[in-house]
Amino acid sequence: MPDGLVKAIPFEDLIAAARARSQDGWRADLNDQAKARYHVAGWPHARTESWKYTNLNALAGSDFTLAEGGAATGAAVPEDAILAIDAPRIVLVNGVLDPALSNLDALPGGVVLTRLAEAGESDRAVMASLLSEESSTDGLPLAALNAATLSDALILDIATGAVPETAVHVISVGAGENKAFAPRLLIRAGEDSFADVIESHVGGGAEVYFSNSVTQVTVAKGARLGHYRLQNEALGAFHVALTTAEVAEGAVYDNFVLSLGARLARNEIRGEITGARVEYRINGAYMASGTRHLDNTTFIDHAAAGSRSREVYKGVLADASRGVFQGKILVRQDAQQTDGYQMNRAMLMSDRAEIDSKPELEIYADDVRCSHGATVGELEEDHLFYLQARGIDRDTARRLLVSAYIDEAIDEIHSEPVREAMKQRAGDWLAQNLSGDGA
Amino acid sequence: MSLLKIENLHATIDDKEILKGINLEMGPGEIHAIMGPNGSGKSTLSYVLAGRDGYEVTEGSVTFKGKDLLELEADERANEGIFLAFQYPVEIPGVAGMTFLRESYNAKLRHHGEPEADAMQFLKMVRAKAKTLNMNDDMLKRPVNVGFSGGEKKRNEILQMAVLEPSLAILDETDSGLDIDALKLVSEGVNALRNEGRSMLIITHYQRLLNHIQPDFVHVLAHGKIQRSGGKELALELEANGYADFAEEAA
Repeated sequence: MPDGLVKAIPFEDLIAAARARSQDGWRADLNDQAKARYHVAGWPHARTESWKYTNLNALAGSDFTLAEGGAATGAAVPEDAILAIDAPRIVLVNGVLDPALSNLDALPGGVVLTRLAEAGESDRAVMASLLSEESSTDGLPLAALNAATLSDALILDIATGAVPETAVHVISVGAGENKAFAPRLLIRAGEDSFADVIESHVGGGAEVYFSNSVTQVTVAKGARLGHYRLQNEALGAFHVALTTAEVAEGAVYDNFVLSLGARLARNEIRGEITGARVEYRINGAYMASGTRHLDNTTFIDHAAAGSRSREVYKGVLADASRGVFQGKILVRQDAQQTDGYQMNRAMLMSDRAEIDSKPELEIYADDVRCSHGATVGELEEDHLFYLQARGIDRDTARRLLVSAYIDEAIDEIHSEPVREAMKQRAGDWLAQNLSGDGA
Repeated sequence: MSLLKIENLHATIDDKEILKGINLEMGPGEIHAIMGPNGSGKSTLSYVLAGRDGYEVTEGSVTFKGKDLLELEADERANEGIFLAFQYPVEIPGVAGMTFLRESYNAKLRHHGEPEADAMQFLKMVRAKAKTLNMNDDMLKRPVNVGFSGGEKKRNEILQMAVLEPSLAILDETDSGLDIDALKLVSEGVNALRNEGRSMLIITHYQRLLNHIQPDFVHVLAHGKIQRSGGKELALELEANGYADFAEEAA
């Protein structure tokens, strides 16, 4: 690319706006450090390996203003878009906690919520170290941008040994037209705790906005954490999400992401398994129509021996939509007896739909069992005819078959109420998107 | 009045003519067998009647209950009372047998402007019918036909037929892949569904199925046309002489 065409790194104005708001010294320091990392990492371009299939030009070329922190927006939670789960809510509007929409008093015992804006010295220190640990060499410029523009962060602590009575539902609502915001959530599951945290990312009236979210998870020894996310943003929105998970000995991390919304969305999950007997599960489903682009990128780092990882992603791509799946599993030299399984299946509902699938195994240990696979298919005419021959009309038959296909991934979820809630939203998508068009 | 009337039916697949002028009339409650060598057009006839995509009717007509059958979609034909028991029932991963049956049953009720079935009563009804076919609850819960043996798949077809109560059942090579015990069980299931309001069109290569399900009429299909029609004794004659009489340019 000739020098004259190199676009300056985007969103400097957002960073400047955030910096101007950071009155206290420590937060200004965080912003500054993150800005430096953002510059070093650089904006992803076509040759950036981890962004090879997801072009961010449309995002970079859009104008956003930084969402105001704290001000009441009058936004409401779109009940028909979020996961319908009976659980206390922590609601973020444009990335900032909205206590009025939340049920902070109803948080179950054993769960403590801390806002960075109101955090004590020790939590600030934790946050500062977490933020500065994000390496600029990991090709994660958007995580650095998140840190450079965030106005608040939430820390969700699950106490050692705690088994909270209910799940906790974190709801991110995008409510400002052409606003950019940077939700940041820390989930720390204490030793031997057993909890579910659910995230719903939805639009609340605005059509075009940019949600650049980061969720950092640590699962301590022997803990079990269910972490389930619904991405059901407004259809004109940009959604870039990074989840990092560090999972210790004997812990179970059960993650699932259902991606339905946004014009362009990236769900990136980077996990590190640091002990033995870990059950690391990252599964998901993606359903796209129109010209939507849904990217799922995962990295599993088996850094310790004797653990298992399982990853099942299934997608349905209609019209001229595009799906991307990149799944890398790294098994380090010491990580003997690793058992890894990865599968990505995509169903194309139209000949204009596209899936780019890139599984990648990098194995340095010699006593491991790792398998991966990728399939692309379409609805089988035999199946459709069988259902039609039993009186089921073609549209219903299509929905029934696609629903069965997607349910297979959703069934990986450990929590039964979450499974049902995910199926409900997947069903909504099918009803809205698979009626009539094409055969 | 006839239930089904096929007149001079011609049909092609990929521009190749398979049915070359079929004439057949069936009254209510009648059992007709269509026998013929491989490649004679037997399965094509069953698919054309059931409304499968990919077959083009180039000439002729099919009237079912006084309606132009060829105007209807496959699901509409099913809801009007046509049931095709498949030669090779497909496996449908992820769709539970019971869900599938309920969808089909309710589709038929809706088609006739009736309210959907009560879930509990429907379950009871299906269980009772399944029991007579030696099918347990587990087979109903499992995804449709997934992991079923050949015999189990055929029994599942008969169960669907028992639940949907068609006025015309087309049994396409129902005996294929069945051992003698399975054949008996399936035949008993079919015989139990015989009544004066239900016609059956039994498509088969071999006579042995007709020992268990006695037809009123037998037709020989070869080269895309019905070459001969007669009573059930015609089946025995074919068993003795094979299809040699109908080889080559018999048409």
